[in-house]
Amino acid sequence: MILLETENRVIYDTLNYKFEVAQSGGKQDSIEVTVADFDGAVYHLSNPDGDKTKIRVSIGLKFYKDLQDHGADELLRREYGAYYQATAEDGFSVTLVYDLTSVAKDYKPIAKKASLLKRNCFASVFEKYFEAQAKGEVGKRAVIHYRDDETMYVESKKDRVTVIFSTVFKDESDVTFGKVFMQEFKESRRRSQTAPQVLYNHKEPPMELSGLDAAVGDNIGYVTFVLFPRHTGPNVRDNTIDLIHTFRNYLHYHIKCSKAYMHQRMRAKTSDFLKVLNRARPEDKNKEKKTMSGKSFQAR
Amino acid sequence: MSTTLRPYLNAVRATLNASMCLENFNSQVVERHVKPEVEVKTSKELLLTPLVIARNEKEKVLIESSINSIRVSIAVKQADEIEQILCQKFMRFMMMRAENFVVLRRKPVEGYDISFLITNIHTEQMLKHKLVDFVIHFMEEIDKEISEMKLSVNARARIVAEEFLKKF
Repeated sequence: MILLETENRVIYDTLNYKFEVAQSGGKQDSIEVTVADFDGAVYHLSNPDGDKTKIRVSIGLKFYKDLQDHGADELLRREYGAYYQATAEDGFSVTLVYDLTSVAKDYKPIAKKASLLKRNCFASVFEKYFEAQAKGEVGKRAVIHYRDDETMYVESKKDRVTVIFSTVFKDESDVTFGKVFMQEFKESRRRSQTAPQVLYNHKEPPMELSGLDAAVGDNIGYVTFVLFPRHTGPNVRDNTIDLIHTFRNYLHYHIKCSKAYMHQRMRAKTSDFLKVLNRARPEDKNKEKKTMSGKSFQAR
Repeated sequence: MSTTLRPYLNAVRATLNASMCLENFNSQVVERHVKPEVEVKTSKELLLTPLVIARNEKEKVLIESSINSIRVSIAVKQADEIEQILCQKFMRFMMMRAENFVVLRRKPVEGYDISFLITNIHTEQMLKHKLVDFVIHFMEEIDKEISEMKLSVNARARIVAEEFLKKF
């Protein structure tokens, strides 16, 4: 698995199962599931007021307020239609309710859509700015605090949209790994013509953010994506959003993966060294030697 | 193997062979104690002249010997940041398992990445030439392993970047 999935697999599977049971007329069990996702998202699956014929999917995002400023509510209403609830469940940001007594014949797309809830929350910002760019408007910069100490900036210019992520490397060695990875991101662009330009700044924020109080520090990196109309056009837009919003997780996931691989190698090598060292111990001469048939073997 | 590595390792091997002549020696300070003299350094006359064999500025071996113990410290080459991190991690990983390694010192001597402490007990229990073999094997492998790990990080990064950007 190189690329991360944009949907939430747990939500998808659970809903699929529920819809399947509903369609075959089976008995519905009550449900109470809490699932965590990237960027501090928490999903909650439950039955509203204990009603087993309905299923409620809620998502809690710490930065949902930031997204609301960019029309997240409208986008979700458009995407989910009747499933979207005007008032969210207590403690959560968005709530969808599915009625299990009237499940559509082709339920897979519905489940799929529900599992993309987090992605759709993010999509609002991007869509707004892609739209603005298409019209040639120069919008104000959007600032989304998508994690406690990490921020995303989206800005539309006349001919492009720039997306800047700030990311914090918790471990010191992650900084170096991050540099190696970003170097490759920069260079890979030459090999694929359609890819957007990727820039990487370490420690200091890029020039575009000079007016803002962007964080500065040894373990902070800034990744800039420059998206041109060929990335933000109506037919490729969804794909771009899918990729961009998972980028931070993708980078960190692979840094962790390569560290895990290193560890595995070190373990193997260490046991190899031990074997060589143990070769230095002379064999026990008094050990009883046996023949094939089990008789002991003695030198006289 | 490169042309400079072979003589370097040969020199280390010859020196270790010559200096690993250890015998039991009771402490002169504490009665009924035996201490590795190279560590405690209680008396000058029990210590031999320490020796550095260097391949270049960064790769070198320090061999300190005494009457009943010998300390071998190795500095591994670290060309860039990533090799430095890998080396540091690897050495820490091994030193945490020092009790399995018997001859490994828990902390490296200052200025070096890893140290071995071989006492007369070790040379009595183990074959001397095999112990020397182990140190040489270690030096050979550690360089190889670190550069292979570095390559694998780079290869992974390239694949990761390509896969991601290809999707656009």
